[in-house]
Amino acid sequence: MENILSIKNLSVSLSGKRGIVPILHNISLEVEAGHILGIVGESGSGKSMTAFAITQLLPGGRKSIVDGSISFCGQDLTKKTETEMTKFRGKEIAMIFQEPMTCLNPVFTIGRQMKDVIMTHQKKNAREATKQAEKMLEQVHIRDAGRVLKCYPYELSGGMRQRVMIAIALSCSPKLLIADEPTTALDVTIQAQIIFLIKEACKATGTGVIFISHDLGVVSQLCDTIAVMYSGQIVEVGSAADVLTHPHHPYTKALLASIPSFTTREDGDDKLSAIPGMVPDPLEHIPGCRFAPRCSYAMDICHNQVPPPQICANGHSLHCHLQREGEN
Amino acid sequence: MISPKKIVGILEQNTLTLIGTIMVAFIIIIGITAPLICPYDPNIMDIPSRLQAPSLAHFFGTDEMGRDVFTRVIYGARISITVGLSIVVIAAGVGCFFGSISGYAGGKVDRVIMACTDMVLSFPSMVLALALTAAMGPGLFNTMLAVCIVRIPLYVRLMRGQVLALKEMQYVRAARTFGERPAKIILRHIIPNCLTPLLVQMTLGIGDAILIASSMSFIGLGAQPPTPEWGAMIATARIYAIDQWWYAAFPGLFILITVMGFNLLGDGIRDILDPRSKD
Amino acid sequence: MEPLLEIRELKKTFKIKNFFGATTEVQALKGISLAINKGESLGIVGESGCGKSTLANLIIRLDEPTDGAIILDGQDISHIKEKELRRLRSRIQIVFQDPYSSLSPRMTVEQILTEPMCVAGTKTFTEMRQKAVELLELVGMRSSNLTRYPHEFSGGQRQRLSIARALTTEPEILILDEPTSALDVSVQAQVLNILTSLQKKMDLTYLFISHNLAVVKYISNRTAVMYRGKVMEIGPSKNILMSPAHPYTKKLLEAVPIVGKPFHQPDTEDASVNEEDILDGCGYYYRCPFAEKKCLGKLPGFIEKANDHLVSCWKV
Repeated sequence: MENILSIKNLSVSLSGKRGIVPILHNISLEVEAGHILGIVGESGSGKSMTAFAITQLLPGGRKSIVDGSISFCGQDLTKKTETEMTKFRGKEIAMIFQEPMTCLNPVFTIGRQMKDVIMTHQKKNAREATKQAEKMLEQVHIRDAGRVLKCYPYELSGGMRQRVMIAIALSCSPKLLIADEPTTALDVTIQAQIIFLIKEACKATGTGVIFISHDLGVVSQLCDTIAVMYSGQIVEVGSAADVLTHPHHPYTKALLASIPSFTTREDGDDKLSAIPGMVPDPLEHIPGCRFAPRCSYAMDICHNQVPPPQICANGHSLHCHLQREGEN
Repeated sequence: MISPKKIVGILEQNTLTLIGTIMVAFIIIIGITAPLICPYDPNIMDIPSRLQAPSLAHFFGTDEMGRDVFTRVIYGARISITVGLSIVVIAAGVGCFFGSISGYAGGKVDRVIMACTDMVLSFPSMVLALALTAAMGPGLFNTMLAVCIVRIPLYVRLMRGQVLALKEMQYVRAARTFGERPAKIILRHIIPNCLTPLLVQMTLGIGDAILIASSMSFIGLGAQPPTPEWGAMIATARIYAIDQWWYAAFPGLFILITVMGFNLLGDGIRDILDPRSKD
Repeated sequence: MEPLLEIRELKKTFKIKNFFGATTEVQALKGISLAINKGESLGIVGESGCGKSTLANLIIRLDEPTDGAIILDGQDISHIKEKELRRLRSRIQIVFQDPYSSLSPRMTVEQILTEPMCVAGTKTFTEMRQKAVELLELVGMRSSNLTRYPHEFSGGQRQRLSIARALTTEPEILILDEPTSALDVSVQAQVLNILTSLQKKMDLTYLFISHNLAVVKYISNRTAVMYRGKVMEIGPSKNILMSPAHPYTKKLLEAVPIVGKPFHQPDTEDASVNEEDILDGCGYYYRCPFAEKKCLGKLPGFIEKANDHLVSCWKV
């Protein structure tokens, strides 16, 4: 299947009050049409920054230093000007965020906002745009689409607003949908519905999806491929089934071990295994693997050399010296 | 908590704040050192030397009584700074007191205090200040009192808004859960956290207060002759403005420097006081 | 044995005034009854709007209930005045959800930890400082942190500071209102570990509120499931979460995404209209696949399904 998006050796540094802060180190990712790539990581892992780097919406704008390439349908986005990028955003690349309330203008109705987006990117008049907006709302399973179009954002629940955001995002049939923690603020039952929506939309329209989350459970249910990030580096990439059930990287393993599970262990007897230490400050220069200071398997080489990517059987990609040594 | 290094850092980055700080510092220093740097006495008249143009002997020239304009302008700085600071400090003190009670207590207390505040605010400030001064009689002290009263509602509202917002912060609720009394909560938790907007408003307010006070003196209700207050000086200088430009220009220039300096400084204070901006 | 904290038919109604002065009433709690025994850990699980935070606020008396009773060690504290309440406040403390707004930004850690002691007024300065150091060590932080400000710490460390502050008055009951919801998974594990070890060490009683079922199962002996102001089901955590009886609990568990669990397609009924609030009957009526007419009427009260496992549903 063709790659919609291909990121190669992307490194990003932001310049701000504290000087030049490297936030992404040598990221390489691929998204195919109709596939869902999950990016998992904790705070400071750089997962949201990757999304902003793709859409060229980094804080600090053009002052940020970008190295490497982001190839979208054959075009390198890092070389595009701001005017050229606006043609991509909304039309070819759509984004949805965590807090739908802050993404919808509270003083305009939903219908008005959807019409604006549709009319900006497609040559439709107002009536056609409204019709399409209604159709999109029905596609995200909103009954009473006509009534919802006349509502203001505050009249809808969080789950409804997120559905509206997805409808807006998909209204121009983008090739790539980037979802940055869209279900984190939602109740569990609503979350399940949103996950289903995204899955359905992706398979139906062949849109590639990048789903960013810190929730491993959500990612395991939704995504085809998963990339695990830590402090601006990718540590492991592979199929969802593989990475989460047979993790190779010590960080992935530690992350999975720290989640309280439903399968019965004697309550209170086991401690959850927490990862000692803290996520390093982005300014801290660590010559080798950035997880090495906290890794229980760290060897000397881990502190000195960044582990190169290693392709295991079944396409699983790993950045870890430990596995190279052949140990397990 | 506020390190000198951080202040220097911010001043380096923000030119306007630096300019403002220099202007304010300049005015304050000349005010303090007035007796040392002024060659003449501000009140002694010297009719033969009246209305002389600026020269080496009289840097800013002389006025219609032969007094050295330079000396009077410098002494005027003392008056203006005192006036500005007093008005703002007292208005802020009283305003914050009532504002915090209003915001924290809510209900009827809030409504009563807000009603009083709104009554004062419903008059244009200058008009009310004029009316109060006229009623009390002209004089610098009465003017200061009038302007102070007129400024109080601003701080009441500011403080009330802050208290309403901060009241719901989790650390304030936590303080309630260990039985902290309301007065203590306001003093320990709320006021320190609204210092930033308060101090910004106060600094900007000094410039404003000086301007209003000078305006009142200009129309004859504020400082009375022979007080070397800038507004009063400009009032007298009006008649001589065409031929003896220096008489009105220099006091005017110093009003400009003072008010602008405080405004620029007020804008920059926010950055300096925010504990969250890292060194 | 008498429960340490008992809640009887607790009701809370909020009156909301709209722009034109008309008031609408929202019943956040429609009659909650619970009991917590000393040393145990009760988890409260529910989605947004179920009233769990309102319940926490009422128990800690940041607000007063409209009806019903809160009984602490035999004494009804629901409407007692602030003066009397002050003496009892040291016995119940709370840890809030947001690590970024639960510590006063302009106070040092030492000031934050000694404040509750200052209010109680029973210790000297040296004793207070000593206690502050002890508390920091209890939550795994060094005493050198006393002079630092909250913004210098990470989310997980701030939550630990909040826990330390809550323990200052040596409370018997600790209410934890979503204490780990804003934290990363690995940090959450650290905080949960501290909470479990503290409970054993200091014989604390926990009321743990969360929307995360796995966390609640991990830390609590018993769990209550709330929906729209009422308790739907309550019992030992294992039973509730492994063999739920109430249709809502079942739905909740189906929807929880777990690593390795295959995706279960939800029924595509959608949250369109904000449904009318049902005051007397079962709040879950509109979404329950087993709903009958009688569910809109009076609820059955608690039916004992198994040992100590109570469900409020006609279907059981």
